[in-house]
Formats: sequence, C-alpha cells, structure tokens
Amino acid sequence: MSAVLPATIAAADEPIEGVALDALYRESNVGAILDALDRELIGLAPVKRRLREIAAFLLVSRARERLGLSTGAPSLHMSFTGNPGTGKTTVAMRMAEILHRLGYVRKGHLVAVTRDDLVGQYIGHTAPKTKEVLKRAMGGVLFIDEAYYLYRPENERDYGQEAIEILLQVMENQRDDLVVILAGYKDRMDTFFRSNPGMASRIAHHIDFPDYSAEELYAIAELMLSGMQYRLDPHAALAMREYIDRRRGQPHFANARSIRNALDRARLRQANRLFAAGGVATREALATIAAQDIRASRVFDPAA
Amino acid sequence: MNRRIDPEAIQDPRERYRAGVLKYRQMGYWQPDYEPKETDVIALFRVTPQPGVDPEEAAAAVAGESSTATWTVVWTDRLTACDQYRAKAYRVDPVPNTGPGTSTEQQWFAYIAYDLDLFEPGSITNLTASIIGNVFGFKPLKALRLEDMRIPVAYLKTFDGPPTGIVVERERLDKFGRPLLGATVKPKLGLSGKNYGRVVYEALKGGLDFTKDDENINSQAFMHWRDRFLNCLEAVNRAQAASGEVKGHYLNVSAATMEDMYERAEFAKELGSMIVMIDLVIGYTAIQSMSKWARRNDMILHLHRAGHSTYTRQKSHGVSFRVIAKWMRMAGVDHIHAGTAVGKLEGDPLTVQGFYNVCRESHNDVDLARGLFFEQPWAGLRKMMPVASGGIHAGQMHQLIDLFGDDCVLQFGGGTIGHPMGIQAGATANRVALEAMVKARNEGRDIAREGPQILDDAARACAPLAQALQTWKDVTFDYTSTDTPDFAVTATPA
Amino acid sequence: MRITQGTFSFLPDLTDAEIRAQIDYALAQGWSCSVEYTDEPHPRNTFWEMWCAPLFDLKDAAGVMQEVDACRKAWPDAYVKVSAFDSTLGFETTRLSFIVHRPGREPDFALVRTEGAGRTQRYSMR
Repeated sequence: MSAVLPATIAAADEPIEGVALDALYRESNVGAILDALDRELIGLAPVKRRLREIAAFLLVSRARERLGLSTGAPSLHMSFTGNPGTGKTTVAMRMAEILHRLGYVRKGHLVAVTRDDLVGQYIGHTAPKTKEVLKRAMGGVLFIDEAYYLYRPENERDYGQEAIEILLQVMENQRDDLVVILAGYKDRMDTFFRSNPGMASRIAHHIDFPDYSAEELYAIAELMLSGMQYRLDPHAALAMREYIDRRRGQPHFANARSIRNALDRARLRQANRLFAAGGVATREALATIAAQDIRASRVFDPAA
Repeated sequence: MNRRIDPEAIQDPRERYRAGVLKYRQMGYWQPDYEPKETDVIALFRVTPQPGVDPEEAAAAVAGESSTATWTVVWTDRLTACDQYRAKAYRVDPVPNTGPGTSTEQQWFAYIAYDLDLFEPGSITNLTASIIGNVFGFKPLKALRLEDMRIPVAYLKTFDGPPTGIVVERERLDKFGRPLLGATVKPKLGLSGKNYGRVVYEALKGGLDFTKDDENINSQAFMHWRDRFLNCLEAVNRAQAASGEVKGHYLNVSAATMEDMYERAEFAKELGSMIVMIDLVIGYTAIQSMSKWARRNDMILHLHRAGHSTYTRQKSHGVSFRVIAKWMRMAGVDHIHAGTAVGKLEGDPLTVQGFYNVCRESHNDVDLARGLFFEQPWAGLRKMMPVASGGIHAGQMHQLIDLFGDDCVLQFGGGTIGHPMGIQAGATANRVALEAMVKARNEGRDIAREGPQILDDAARACAPLAQALQTWKDVTFDYTSTDTPDFAVTATPA
Repeated sequence: MRITQGTFSFLPDLTDAEIRAQIDYALAQGWSCSVEYTDEPHPRNTFWEMWCAPLFDLKDAAGVMQEVDACRKAWPDAYVKVSAFDSTLGFETTRLSFIVHRPGREPDFALVRTEGAGRTQRYSMR
C-alpha cells in the first residue's frame, strides 16, 4: 500500500522549527515511482529531470505548509508536447501517482480523453458531456490528448469553445479537485496556446518530449523483445539498426509505437519462415529473430 | 457406479438377497469410491458409534436406515432398481479433537449421498422425514448429529424460497445501509391488548423499525389474538405518522390448526400489517403453507426458531442449526432468528457467522472454520434476513455490527423496554448507537477497537444513550459455548 | 416534525465533510451515487425526483458533491437525499440512502382513519 502524505498534520503544541526533507521524501514513497520510471522508460532524460524537479518543488511546498508558511495551492496543470510514441501518456500516469503520493490529488487515477469525449454533436450536448468527463476525473488527473482540436475558430458552429470555457473554469476554481494535462505536437500546441491565452496562463509546467535517438530506439527494441522472450541474432541486430536509421526519416514515424509495430511484423515473418521450413522448431529457433525477418520490410526497398 | 468394490460387499445377487441378516456394508451402503452426482442430496453426519461398531459400518448403517434398508434382508428389494435408491456412504473422516487422549469419545464425519428421486419435489416435510425420520434412535449408534447438507440446484429449484427476501423487504421499508432494529414486547406474558399496544407505540415512536410478539404469545386468557392485532396496528400506524417512517409489528399467527392460522393471517392482512410471524413448532408443513400464503399476500414472514435448541445445541447429537436454516430458506421464510454470539443465548461467534452466511449469501463457499462443509449455490432463492435476539444491548453495538454487517435485524427487547427513562428513550438510545456506529464504520474507523469510544461520543449528544450505557455497561454473558467449530482458522503466512 | 427517513436521520444533520466521507465509502464499494429530491416525504413515496442520472464510474466524491450542492441550491424547500446503488448479482438495489438537506419547515403527518367492519380501521397518512 503506498504511503500518502496528509496535506496537514495535526497541530503540534509548539511550532516546528524545521522539516527533514529526506524523511519526508522517504515517507511519501515518491522515490519508488521515480526510480521505476528511470528503469522502465528508455531515454527521456530531460523529462525525467523535469519530473524530479517538480517532485522536489511539491515536496518543499509540503514542508513549507507544515511550518505554516502558506503559498496557496500550487498550480499543477501541465502541457506535454512531442511527437507520438514518445511516452506522454505513460509519464502522465506516473505523474498522477506522484501527485497522489505527495497528497496533491485525492485518488490518483488517470482519465485519458480526446476532443470527441468532450465535445458534443448538437446544441446543448457539450456541457453535460464535458462535465461528465470532469466528474469522472475528479480526485485524479485528466489527460487531454491532441488538445488543440478543441479550438476550431474557422467553424463558428463548432462546440469546442464551450468545452474550453468549462475547462478553464474548473482549472482555475477547482484546483483541489483536478489536475489537467494537455498533450500534443509541439508546434500545434504553441499555436493553440497563442490563440487561447487564458489556457496558457493556467499551465504551470510545460514539458517537451524529444524524439528518441537512434541508439535509444534500438534500446527500446531490445527491451520490448526481451519482454516478449525473443532475441535478435547478430545479423538481425545490424539489420535492426539500419531499419531504425531509415525509418526515422520517413513520414508518420511514431517513435516507440513504430518500433513496436515493426517488431510485430518481424515476429509474423519469423513465424511464417519457421512454418514454411517445417520439421521440429527448436527453442532457440522459436526465440530468435533473424535478419531476413527484418530486411523483408518495405523500408529497405531501393525505391524508398 | 463404484469402481473399487468394498471387500465386504456381496456381489452375487443370490447371496445378497438370501433371507437373513447382513451387515450394512455387505448390502452395498458403503461405497468408498462413489462420486456424488451434481443432482445428489448429500448429508454429513457426525457419528458416535457404539463400542465395537467400526466407522464404515456405522456410516453404512446410517445410509441404509435413512434410505432403503431394514434390519433384515428382504426379497422385495429385487422388484426395484435398488442400486439407485440405496443411499451411499462414500467417505468417513475422524472428527478432530475427539477420541483417545481427548475428553470426547471418538466421533466420525460420514458423508452420505442420496439420489434425487428419493425426494418429493418442493417438500421439506419429505426431505426431513427421509433424512432424519428414522435413523437417530438406531441402537448401534451412541449418538448422531446431522451436521450439514448439500442441496443440489436441481432440488432447490423445486422450492419457492423466501416470499420477500432481504432486497425486497428493504425496498418496501425504504431503509438501506444499516441493520434493522426490533424489540420483543416484554414481559413475555400477561399484558392485556391495550397495554401491549402501548409498548409497541412507545418503542416504534422512539426509533425502532419493528416490534415483535414473543413465540408463546398466541391467544391466551390474558389477551385474545384479535385484541392484540387491533391494538398493535393502531400503535404501528400512530408511530408511522409520528415519525414519517415505515414501521411494523410481527403479529404471531401461530395457532392450533392451519385453519386458525389462516384466519389470523387474513385478519392481519385486513388490518394492513406488513409482516406476520410464525413459530418453528408449527411444523414444516405449516411453515410451507404459510410461506405460500405470504407470497400470495405480499406479507413479510418472520420465523421464530422456537424449540430448536432442544436438538441443535449439543455437538454430539441432534441437528445443527445450519441445516435448519437451509431447510427454512427452502421452505421460504424472510426472517429467521440465527443467534447473537454476544447475547444471553448459545452461540459461538464463528459458528453463528456460518449460520448468517447460510441465510444471506447467494452462494456459500466451503468454510470449515465457520462450520460450512459444502459449497452450496442457492440457485436464485432469495436471501433470508437473520435476526439477532436475546440479551443484547446498545453497549454491544460495535461487536454486533462488526460480526454481522448490515443485513440483519438486531432485537433489543429488554434493552429497550428496561431503559431507566422509559421505552421511547430505550428505542432512541439503540437507534442513535446503531446509526453512529454505521457512520463511523463507513468513515473508515475500526469499530471493533474504537466502538466504546464511538458510543461515548454519540452519547454526548444523546442522553438516553448515555443512560443506557451506564445501566448495562458491565453486562456480558461469558460462558463456554457448547456448539463450537471443529476446525480452527489457520493463519496464512504473510 | 423531523422526519426520520434515511440511514443517519437520528444523528445531527451531516456536515459536508461527513457527506463526502459517506459518498467516498459508497464509491469505494463500487456503488454508483445519485441525488434525488422531493416535496412529498410520505414514507410510501419511494420515487423521489431524480436530480440527475446515477453517476457511474466516479472515483471521488467531488463530482457527486457538485450535484448535491446544485440540487440544494435549486430546491431549497425540498428534501434532498443521496442514494448509492449496487448492481452486483444478488443485490441490484440501493445499499445506502441518507438525507442531505431538509426544508426549513418540515410537515407533520395526520393519521386518517376509515371505519371498517367490527372494530377494524383502515389507516392512511396525510
């Protein structure tokens, strides 16, 4: 059972002079989550650093509260920008847990939505839809993916604006009840914030999720494969690196997601290769991806 | 069909049916590798054989005498498909903590399976006449107890079950989320109709949900039943108007004959009562008739288990109350007295919890620590509300809720009427104690440990409760229980 | 007359924090909460007006409290209650129900008697 810091402790008889931050950190058990994040997610160094900074800030806010130094409730709403497959949803879930353990959200669950979950199809439909989503997310974190789709100024009959108004209200007045994380491509989020200064002003933390490097993508591929109890033989390893180099530059590259898709296709080809070969498939053969399983990809076509 | 044949069983039919006396195990009543069918009724007996009788023979004898056998071989057996009708004793286990080195004679658990065709559909009278009708006086057994039964779904489906059930009862009362409160009118005997109604009015107005006739209040010289009914319904309705809540009084319609019972029940209905009451001693046939009547007339049916402890209390001989509870759920009653554990009447806490689970779970798992030996699905038969009644008071509220949860009726007869400031105060004290305890439990407090503190806190805003706690705070009933479980809870490693 | 319907009506009126605690308990059991109101508190009236549809899938009391507050504001002279519903097999019914708001003046009930045959009376409440 995870420890959760109470927002305030029972009043002591004498004022406390200081708070042992180490002890507070241990008590909250936030360290376990941050360490797990380090282990489970490859790369994302700037994101992980940012997360630790935010955690430290929130921890110190707690410490100040205990000493009666009030700052008011810190704003916790965030924006995560980056290409698809860079870990935004995963980190949002971890963020919800961290906020819960530090006592900033009451229950710590994550509700992930897109525009369609918030905006209605006809008049009077949007407000109840948005409010229903908000109610479900209360006590936890609301993650809105591709949030910029809420704003469609070119269509005056678009109901997205209504959803934005309601969100702005809640983000300002019910900070105790809900934390909102908006996510999407960086350039489009920038445009969205420029056109919606009210929204921009409510975001306390902007975190950018850089694309993975080729080396990081290769490490992700290895991690995924070992999790599924496969390995690459030396030629396949080489082929994988080449695959990554080529694929990155191509359109619609979704980072870790694209790697997963590529691995799924490689596994399919391996299966068919073994089946066509017939006879007894050894444990070794069943667990190994060979070079041809990867090189069969269209990515290697001379025309590409 | 058994695969491994008991070496003593006689296979050749001409040998088997020659006139004379055979051991029961020779006649085929002991079949160690019989696999009970889904549709078999299974009974578990606790057997104390006479000296010199081996356990398999004793089990076979029980099987035989509760099904087709008699003391000597009869040729007419061969006119029947006797292999099917014969009950099969298929397993015998020693009972823990009995035998050499203990203070109890060696006892054995004997498992016996009965074919479904032996029983009339939908008849508790027939089920009981079959299983316990003959065998308990049998000389080769020193003592015998029917410990538990597994009723197959195929047989359960021939019964209507409780006419109302816990869910519908609550919906009729519009009361959710807490145990219901009741009280038996005291003194047990002697009040006239009008005075009786006065007690009912005071108790209901003070805050109880129900009041109750005692089991021996039928129709006597000091109060005729019609006077009681008229006065009680006046009191119930006055209390309802004075509180804005649904109230009820269990009118006891038990009588000498079924015709009298129907007459009394009809009058209760005419007066607008929502609930009537019967005693166990009216008999299984009468109980099923009244259940049918209750269902037809939208009446909640309360059963007082009068007389049960003559045969349920001693572990060595009789019928366990858990079996009675199963029969009553099948016969179809809505409330059944099932024990308090902490009050004045017999009841070990775990055993009583076992009874409560039989009453109100949709499916019983095996739970040896609570005395449930079989997995028992209830096939959609409605749930019975267990009633805790007998020597309990407001100061035990935390123990009662901790042991029994919300779906039960807690009856504080003496604990209401004996309150120093009067009956209304007694009722209010119980109701405030109950609501405060439920509220605290929902808020996450550990009521088993903090119960007394919670009661004291609630008493600060409620004088009647403070007085009740003071009057009865030292009352406990600490005697060694006679009907304890045979299997202890084993602590699981962390 | 203080009508004693609902699970906690013999205790002092619940504070908002206490109401929240009960809602959190209900949500933790997996029950869905709803808010209902009425101006007809007769004990046989089990169909109060639904302020909103039952709120399924909530993890925190805040969403329910919003509706409670809105209902209390919209109907200051009505009774408002919170009910928690359990949809599991064998129950499929309300498991908890308590009043969260009472009108300033609560009505009394008068008992109406209709004479029947013999000494019997038929009772109703007005």
